[in-house]
Amino acid sequence: MLDQILCIDDDPITLMLCKKVISKALFSKDTIALKNGEEAINYFRDLRDNKEKNASILKPQLIFLDLNMPVMGGWEFLDYFTKEEFAEFNTIKVIILSSTIDPDDLEKSKTYPMVIDFLPKPISKLMLEYLNNKLEK
Amino acid sequence: MKSKTNQVILVYIVISMFAVIMSHKLLQHFLSDDKSNNYNFIKEILFILFTGGIFKLILAKNDQRNIAVFKKLKKTNEKIKESNEKYNIVAKATSDTIWDWKIQDNSFSWNKGIESMFGYTQEEVINSSDWWFDKIHPEDSIKMSVKLYSFLEQKTKNWQDQYRFRCADNSYKYVLDRGFLLKDNQGKATRMIGAIQDITKQKEEEQRLRLLETVITQSKDSIVIIEPNPNEIGVSKIIYTNPAFSIMSGYKKEEVLGKTTAIFKEMYSDQNEYDKLIDALKEKQECIIETITYKKNKEKYWIRFTMIPIYNSEKILTHWISIQRDVSEEKNNEKEKEQLIRELTQNNKDLKQFSYITSHNLRAPLSNLIGLLNLIEDIPIENQELNEILMGFNKSTHLLNDTINDLVKVIIIKDKPSIQKEEVLLKEVFENVFSQLNFQIELHKPTIKLDFEKANTIHANKAYIESILLNLMTNSIKYKSENRKLKIAITSNQIDNTVILTFKDNGIGIDLVRNRAKVFGLYQRFHNYPDSKGLGLYLAKSQVETMGGTIDIESEVNIGTTFTLTFKNKE
Repeated sequence: MLDQILCIDDDPITLMLCKKVISKALFSKDTIALKNGEEAINYFRDLRDNKEKNASILKPQLIFLDLNMPVMGGWEFLDYFTKEEFAEFNTIKVIILSSTIDPDDLEKSKTYPMVIDFLPKPISKLMLEYLNNKLEK
Repeated sequence: MKSKTNQVILVYIVISMFAVIMSHKLLQHFLSDDKSNNYNFIKEILFILFTGGIFKLILAKNDQRNIAVFKKLKKTNEKIKESNEKYNIVAKATSDTIWDWKIQDNSFSWNKGIESMFGYTQEEVINSSDWWFDKIHPEDSIKMSVKLYSFLEQKTKNWQDQYRFRCADNSYKYVLDRGFLLKDNQGKATRMIGAIQDITKQKEEEQRLRLLETVITQSKDSIVIIEPNPNEIGVSKIIYTNPAFSIMSGYKKEEVLGKTTAIFKEMYSDQNEYDKLIDALKEKQECIIETITYKKNKEKYWIRFTMIPIYNSEKILTHWISIQRDVSEEKNNEKEKEQLIRELTQNNKDLKQFSYITSHNLRAPLSNLIGLLNLIEDIPIENQELNEILMGFNKSTHLLNDTINDLVKVIIIKDKPSIQKEEVLLKEVFENVFSQLNFQIELHKPTIKLDFEKANTIHANKAYIESILLNLMTNSIKYKSENRKLKIAITSNQIDNTVILTFKDNGIGIDLVRNRAKVFGLYQRFHNYPDSKGLGLYLAKSQVETMGGTIDIESEVNIGTTFTLTFKNKE
């Protein structure tokens, strides 16, 4: 079971679903929900600042990322996230969880090394079991 | 001649003398008057001598006159002889056919040209004018004889005519015949001499040139011939325009002939194109320009203008030929077409985007619904009615989800106009298909016959061909007959560059008389089976066509169905 994961999605129902399914499947102890890419960037900036003061603060082990979001979408977030500024978080694995069907999106996701999978909504217990297996390997 | 005169006189004197002497002797013999006798004798002698002298005088004069006449005659004779000789030489040397017509006795003679030019042997030729007239083409003969007789009656001065003359082989030759008339003292025509020239080649050439000329005069393209000025490079003079030029531009011939090409500057709106033209004139190179042009009345039209340099045998530029075509309609069509393509491309892009966004926006809340329903599954529900409602809710949601997923598949296939293809082993494809259908195959145990002897690979996209054959195989199993064991036969064949795959079953079939047009349509169902969606054949056809292939169906109710797929090999 993971300690902490991030869900970035603008849809509150999706976020609610994620939280419920994740807790039911005992996938992670803590699930942090963020509404868009910008909130996530700010979250990581704060986290970095706080970590300087207190090194024992947890960092998320996995991110569920939606693509189409207002203010800052999934791609823009990934573009920021791969920069030097967030070098210490680069090892965090990202799962794109989207309802997109555009094949170009799938291709594009492969260009980001931290993106380990591209899964269709909705999140389900089965999906989490599959991810568990994948992460253990 | 002189001696003859003298002889005559001498004979006269001798005979007279002899007569005088004889009569004198007789008189002497019979008469005794010697005195008067002698006197008479002397008188007669003197008379004879005197008349002899007068004779000589007269004869000498006559002689002189005769000599002069003779000399003149001789001269004339020589002249005639010479001219005759000349005539013979010319008649022999000329390539013309010469005829000689003595009009009064209607005798007609030909030189050897009648044989060499027209092929008649001397035996075939009849020496009368009728024979000549007979050989003249019927269409020409009336016009020709009118002209000829008016010449013979000396109403016209010269005679020459063109007509067709029949050869020995019955073909006709175009000839030019020129004649001269000889007259007697009364000025009556007695003889006519003619020279016939074969102008068939010239005539044919003339006709050919006239035909070629009609290309220029009848052309709908305007044609302008321009003469370059050797002193001023680039400045050239217009020397010919065809009728189409005037119709097209509105400028009359007289308004442009003799003008320089600068006149085009007024006509062409596009300065760049005009400069291109002038450069080509300077460089002596062919050029094609397209420009909006003004007619004389300032009306605009589009022309395509070709300038072609013409060189003589010494490789010196002699003329320019310019062909101008009104391409206004073409240009307008082109513009409209471009506009249409732009609009269509944009529309297509918008629609594609629209379909992605719609399906995304449909899928997002739908996936939430499914996720929520999944959560409900774990919660026990006491209320029976609520449970039923939730069941219906669940079913409908999943159906909606399936439909949207199907549409998404279609959109993805349709979005790819061309797809990656490779050589695919048919055996491998079927192994994959069978492994996916393992459960159904085990359940129904159909007889499956595969024959890929004639072609064991096809040029296709592996995922697509698997999906197509999976669909066909699923259909065969789904729509098998309850009365007999399912048999499926799949064979491949190759004709030229095409691989043909035949997929045959003995299932319940489709009534093609009613349904042929709909059989590959989207959401078309022909059997009311619960798990039939009407998508499989539509997807299969879309995938086959995306790969550049074809798919056809033959089916008979309760006998079976055969699909024929063709795929082009790699070029």
